[in-house]
Amino acid sequence: MAQQTSGDDTASPPPSRRLDEDWLAVVVGLALVALALLGVIPTGLVP
Amino acid sequence: MTTSTGTTRRSPLLWAVAGVVAVLALSAVVRWLSKAVPAWTKGTGLEGVGAAVEYPVYAILLGLLGNAVLGATGLRDRLSGGFRTEFFIKTGLVLLGASINLSVIAQAAGPALVQSVLLISVVFGFAWWLGGRAGLDDKLRALLASAVAICGVSAAIAAAGAMQAKKEQLAYSASLVIVFALPSIFLVPWLAELIGLPAAVAGAWIGGNIDTTAAVTAAGALAGEQQLQIATIVKVTQNALLGVVAVALTAYFALRVDRSAATTEPVARQLWRRFPKFVLGFLATSVIATVYLAAVPAAEGKAAIGVVNDLRTWFLILAFVSIGLEFRVSTLRQAGWRPVGVFAAATVVILLAALGLAALLFRNFSA
Repeated sequence: MAQQTSGDDTASPPPSRRLDEDWLAVVVGLALVALALLGVIPTGLVP
Repeated sequence: MTTSTGTTRRSPLLWAVAGVVAVLALSAVVRWLSKAVPAWTKGTGLEGVGAAVEYPVYAILLGLLGNAVLGATGLRDRLSGGFRTEFFIKTGLVLLGASINLSVIAQAAGPALVQSVLLISVVFGFAWWLGGRAGLDDKLRALLASAVAICGVSAAIAAAGAMQAKKEQLAYSASLVIVFALPSIFLVPWLAELIGLPAAVAGAWIGGNIDTTAAVTAAGALAGEQQLQIATIVKVTQNALLGVVAVALTAYFALRVDRSAATTEPVARQLWRRFPKFVLGFLATSVIATVYLAAVPAAEGKAAIGVVNDLRTWFLILAFVSIGLEFRVSTLRQAGWRPVGVFAAATVVILLAALGLAALLFRNFSA
């Protein structure tokens, strides 16, 4: 059953998820840059 | 044996994966359209339009279309776990860092910081004051002021956490951000061209006045490459100041409004917790690419950065499609029109103030 949101709930942020997403973006971005600069992802492979 | 608990736990993940697949499928259509339409219209009376309409337009429109279809079939809420706008845009911005020379960031950082501090102070103050005059709840007006003055949805989330606002207030503020950001994506670049703003000023205006980072990137991409770079630097600077505002809000609400919200966490730790870490990735890729380009032959460097730019375009398309998919007007109807009026007035103030500051601080910018 879907979770109900009561009117008294506070929006304490989902800190772990937000931070994870932040760091995940950094890791994925850096990894892709490294792969491109090292030639592992060749020109023309990305459509 | 599969327990019912196990099934309930897995289902959201499976739906989220299906949501990501839906975003990817729509993004593939966007990528295809952005290449096919100029080819189809070449040599016809629509050649100019076909060439001018770029991927952010297709992405947002297809996202909105997907939103309507999924909403009508009742699938939108289930798939929404896969609409990761924040992750897609942040990864896209980390990749964007690789195409911005470190010297450009160094030159633009000073004026971007001055512009951001002034804009946040003036616009936050105005929205807070007007919200008070309009009789809005303190937490709601702080949320709206943070969202309009700093960086849209991310700022609203951080501010909501800082002062423990209600979920409904956060959902409402986030919806307002998107409602106002969507037309801005098209309007601001068009106005910048109409006024004849230089690329750097246009970029600083886009980065300064449009709330949400994804919309800034979409507008910058429509305006041009240099506009996109400056807009991103300005917006990233505003993002970096988010922690300062969140800490100030935490202190204000704990000391003046809601004493139960007091925290014993040291300020430095709060600042680090609130700091958007993708800013570090953005700077890191700029440093890496600047060093790399100085070390390899020009043609080799250009080809490699071209690959990074293609990847960046994909992540931005994923983010823009997600914006369209996440768009909802229903949340707005619940809170009445006074908050909309406050947000609209603050949007006009930031539009004008950002234009003035951009023209003043970036008029002699050259990179």
